[in-house]
Amino acid sequence: MNPFLKRIGLVLAATTCSPALAVDFVHEVAPLLKKHCAECHMGNKHKGGFSMNTREELMKENDDGFVLEPGNSAKSLMMHLITSDDEDERMPPKGDGLNEKEVALVAAWINAGAPWEPGFTFKQSSYEPPLRLQRPVLPAAQAGRSHPIDRILDAHLSKTKVTRPAAIDEAAFVRRVHLDITGLLPSVEILQAYLADKDPQKRGKLVQTLLQDKEAYATHWMAFWNDLLRNDYAGTGYIDGGRTQISQWLYRSLYDNKPYNQFASELIAPTKDSAGFANGIKWRGAVSAGQTVPIQYAQSVGQTFLGINLKCASCHDSFTDQWKLTDSYGLAAAFSGEKIEIARCDKPTGKIAEPYWLYPQLGKIDASKPPQERLKQVAALTTMPENGRFSRTIVNRLWHRLMGRGIVHPVDAMGTEPWNAALLDHLATYLVDHKYDLKQVIAHICESQAYQSKAQSLETDDESKWTYAGPRAKRMTAEEFVDALWQILGTAPGKSDFVPAISTGAAPALSRATWIWINDGAQSPAGETVAFRKTFTLAAPVSQAMAVITCDNEFSLSINGKAVAKSDDWMSPRLVDLKPHLKNGANEILLIGKNGGSAPNGAALYFQARLKQGKEAVMMNSDATWQATAAPNGNVPANATWQNAVAVPAQNNWDSIADKIQQAQAQMAGGGGLRVRASLMKSDLLMRSLGRPNREQIVTSRPNDLTTLEAMDLNNGAILAAQLEKGAARLLETQGADPRTMVDSLYWQALSRAPSAEEKQIALEVLGARPNADTVQDFLWTLFMLPEFQLIR
Amino acid sequence: MNNRREFLKALSASTTAAMMARAPRLGAEVIHQPAAKADSCILLWMAGGMAAPETFDPKRYQPFEKGVPISKILSTFPSIRTAVDNISICKGLENIASVMDRATLIRSAVQEDLGSILHSRHQYHWHTGYVPPQTVAAPHIGAWMAKVLGPKNPVMPAFINIGQRLEGVGESEELKAFTTAGFFGSEFGPMNLPYPDQAAAAVRPPKGMTPERFQSRRALLTKLLAKSPHREYMSDHQQESMLRSLDNAHRLLSAKEREAFDITLEPKEVYDRYNTGRFGQGCLLARRLVENGARFVEVTTEYVPFFQWDTHKDGHAVVEKMHKEIDMPIAQLIRDLEERGLLDRTLVIVASEFSRDAMMEGGPGSTAKDQATVKGDTLESTSHYGLHRHFTQGSSVLMFGGGVKKGHLHGATADERPLVAIKDPVTITDLHATIFTAMGISPKTVYDVEQRPFYATLDGKGKAVDSIFA
Repeated sequence: MNPFLKRIGLVLAATTCSPALAVDFVHEVAPLLKKHCAECHMGNKHKGGFSMNTREELMKENDDGFVLEPGNSAKSLMMHLITSDDEDERMPPKGDGLNEKEVALVAAWINAGAPWEPGFTFKQSSYEPPLRLQRPVLPAAQAGRSHPIDRILDAHLSKTKVTRPAAIDEAAFVRRVHLDITGLLPSVEILQAYLADKDPQKRGKLVQTLLQDKEAYATHWMAFWNDLLRNDYAGTGYIDGGRTQISQWLYRSLYDNKPYNQFASELIAPTKDSAGFANGIKWRGAVSAGQTVPIQYAQSVGQTFLGINLKCASCHDSFTDQWKLTDSYGLAAAFSGEKIEIARCDKPTGKIAEPYWLYPQLGKIDASKPPQERLKQVAALTTMPENGRFSRTIVNRLWHRLMGRGIVHPVDAMGTEPWNAALLDHLATYLVDHKYDLKQVIAHICESQAYQSKAQSLETDDESKWTYAGPRAKRMTAEEFVDALWQILGTAPGKSDFVPAISTGAAPALSRATWIWINDGAQSPAGETVAFRKTFTLAAPVSQAMAVITCDNEFSLSINGKAVAKSDDWMSPRLVDLKPHLKNGANEILLIGKNGGSAPNGAALYFQARLKQGKEAVMMNSDATWQATAAPNGNVPANATWQNAVAVPAQNNWDSIADKIQQAQAQMAGGGGLRVRASLMKSDLLMRSLGRPNREQIVTSRPNDLTTLEAMDLNNGAILAAQLEKGAARLLETQGADPRTMVDSLYWQALSRAPSAEEKQIALEVLGARPNADTVQDFLWTLFMLPEFQLIR
Repeated sequence: MNNRREFLKALSASTTAAMMARAPRLGAEVIHQPAAKADSCILLWMAGGMAAPETFDPKRYQPFEKGVPISKILSTFPSIRTAVDNISICKGLENIASVMDRATLIRSAVQEDLGSILHSRHQYHWHTGYVPPQTVAAPHIGAWMAKVLGPKNPVMPAFINIGQRLEGVGESEELKAFTTAGFFGSEFGPMNLPYPDQAAAAVRPPKGMTPERFQSRRALLTKLLAKSPHREYMSDHQQESMLRSLDNAHRLLSAKEREAFDITLEPKEVYDRYNTGRFGQGCLLARRLVENGARFVEVTTEYVPFFQWDTHKDGHAVVEKMHKEIDMPIAQLIRDLEERGLLDRTLVIVASEFSRDAMMEGGPGSTAKDQATVKGDTLESTSHYGLHRHFTQGSSVLMFGGGVKKGHLHGATADERPLVAIKDPVTITDLHATIFTAMGISPKTVYDVEQRPFYATLDGKGKAVDSIFA
């Protein structure tokens, strides 16, 4: 006996209560009716003109009159038929018929008024998805739109008589494709360079460039996969070892763009690093039979990879699809090292589950092999090309992420009919043909005219009224929203909760820069300010340019005359992205260092940049070749005389941050950019408000709508308010207080466009001639609240 | 504001966020929602396992004496009389005793033994009606009320949760797992106010922002929207719903009801009567919120492992402190609600995830491991003196108002160990059915999630304890 039930039994015994047993249609009556009556009276069978698919049909008068009289079993024909000794009369005519207990249950059910599950029918939906992929014949291209996706969708639109959606403009495309592939807003420099580019192939090239940014891609898609694989950096179960993370494995797999069949195999037949998915969450204490670790395995494999919901069938044969209790237990048994007894609705049946594969036509699991071998078989059966369900499920998820709605929708109901089967199978065969390369499928979708069309404007969220008329706008995910804030405001935290252990190839141990000052720095007067400069020439644009900077006690950095960053926390070296500020030709880096204290003390500045051009990386270190001059009050006098900076001998207090410098260097070597991303952080109140889920269950789509309580958080939540405060201060420092430049720049950054004259007018009225912290914060808040900002369309 | 109905409509249309949660199932079996006996509900949560023999179900009193066998301890507090002749409760709860004539006391609540006693897991069970883990995220009982009944006053969040920190405390991830609307979507989730004295900040413009600036910031958004070049999206459902939610939020942040969140506006002598600490302040806040039309409010003594009711040692001393923390505010809450004519339509429940015992872990036959942190067979020091084990088979639930009988006793536990419920046991499922019924929600109320039915009480089987209703 299941120990859990044993205990319940004890509770009942101890409390001397005998619960009035209500008749349970779903869990007791329906299976019994199905077992004995289905062959002749359910689905498309209605022998003797009698169907039991629905309660209405069951209650209908037929050749023999009424079969049931609810509330009165004694007067019901059904009771007579199931208890009759007359062979010609008895139902069911074959087999042993109903046993005593079953007869009693039917009687109790009739006496209770024959309750029925609302809306329930024994008739299965007539749609049965084919298992194998069918390579569609592509319709002829219309208007020269030859991309296979467009050929299919243009034909679809012709058939449904829906106007073809208009193309989006270049800037909207750049914003959409950046957010969709890397989860980041496009930088203004990239956007403007793109707009100026005359290359007719530039859309396709941008898609490729973005996909090649391994780090940005992996980091962004971590959020999607963490949801789908219920992995997180904190959560139920981790605390007591009932659950393990797969974060490192997952990041690495995305970074390397591991072929999806291999990716899935490593989760289904896991190694230690990827086992967290298969092992699910083990709770302390007893759990229901439908939530044991092996059953969780069956449910997770079914849902994640095949879009099959085995949750019903973990408890009893499903009423809504074909999956049976033995299917769920079959997969669970493949996983389990021990024999598992099948329980129906938490009641043990005495039957031992046999390892069994959901699609026997594809092959079977060899029960004689040890679990590890069996899981390899499960992996092979799941990922084999003949299993079209596997490839369809993932391409449908990708389509949903990129286009806003699944081809099969909702995305987990893969047994239901797609709105365009040819499109689904085209994408699935494309995945198989391209060796399960997910990036190629993403590129394929993004390169279609369909993806590059205007978003549908929907009057209602009623899915039953929906027809395809272009992509659907997507709400920014919590992570995208937070990253966008960090990008614009420069307020990303110094380090992420999850740090990917990616050594980017063989990154050589970086040489250290030299600490410098205008003299040996040992006895710098309190408050002394010194300017340092370095000029250099760039022959070609850089693909990355990051710097690690710190100064005991403060520094401010300008590049080519523009303020870029400052810090007064010398113990935390700053990682600064130089790239947006560099230009081809001559560049000048100017650092103002300031000493602190109240009496003469040690002072020094540290700067180290890594510039990447093509495959080459060049280091630029502070050293004695830099120039220095006294800069009273932080200003470089017009007639300043520059002299060579002096290397400052290492001192204990600067050595104390050596490891922090090293950490920052490692980040810099990893490619820089925005390393600390929301998808690598533990969830917080703001992210929860924006729809980041507790990853205790598998989540395959985030909520599309903003709720009132969430909107409260956006109105007065402490996290957002703090971001705005810090961000506004930083903008005022680094961008100066010219309101016109600020409005233009923020519109470009946040919305990827210039403000209209009217918008600019309104913004300028609010910011005033001299923007201050309050007006800048309010303007920022307003920008972030615009649906245009929060929606990707 | 326009009329209430219109506003409600707007509020509920603002999200059909419950992506997967469809409308109530319609079908052959019509679910009759019972007539509501109460419009608001306050759950006073004794987090950590309130020992019934130390509170509302006193047994033979054993004073502290060195060398006494622990097996002799049933209660460490003597009993006192209450306003109801046949009901005695523990010394230290004199104020609650004085309002017992407004209460129904259930002494036979039982919980399932989940094999290993884990507070957060039993609290999950109590708050959702479902034993974790579940294949779908189960909604909190407050989320059910928000979903089925909606807000009572449209500007007031329907589900407000007071006193529990969800960050930086032990088992906080586990607490978050049930402090949620689950598959209903966050529209129906809790507004969390961990510190009652800072609740006002949750409905005020951000710190440092004047109301004028708050309004003008909002006006700026309106102006920029009006000039948006993206006219083609004006009627877009998603855009509209986003703006409507922002409107609704702004409305609460500007509404007069937000004063209800500010307990410092209460007259000092009233404030002082409640102010036994965060729990007492929470009771005061709950009263103010219910006066202003809150639907469901939970106030907790707060669960922090090994603190408050979670006594694994020094039980007597800690419970003495807990008595002081809850006694006055609970009684005052009842009197205040009554005085304002609100008690009849407000259901107040005092409950906990399970009880405690000095000897027995779980209950008879349980395999749960003994979790007392001081062991020994006899009383050697005061740290041994108290009920340090978790007990699931006989606990007390106190209910006031909302159509329950006044001065009524339901069920009983044995007088000698095991102190199990021996009369009219009430399971969590049936207790929930009782609460839902009082609020006008059928225990069979059901929503579809992932093509499966999900019921207000386990499998729709909860039966209200009708005998406690007047």
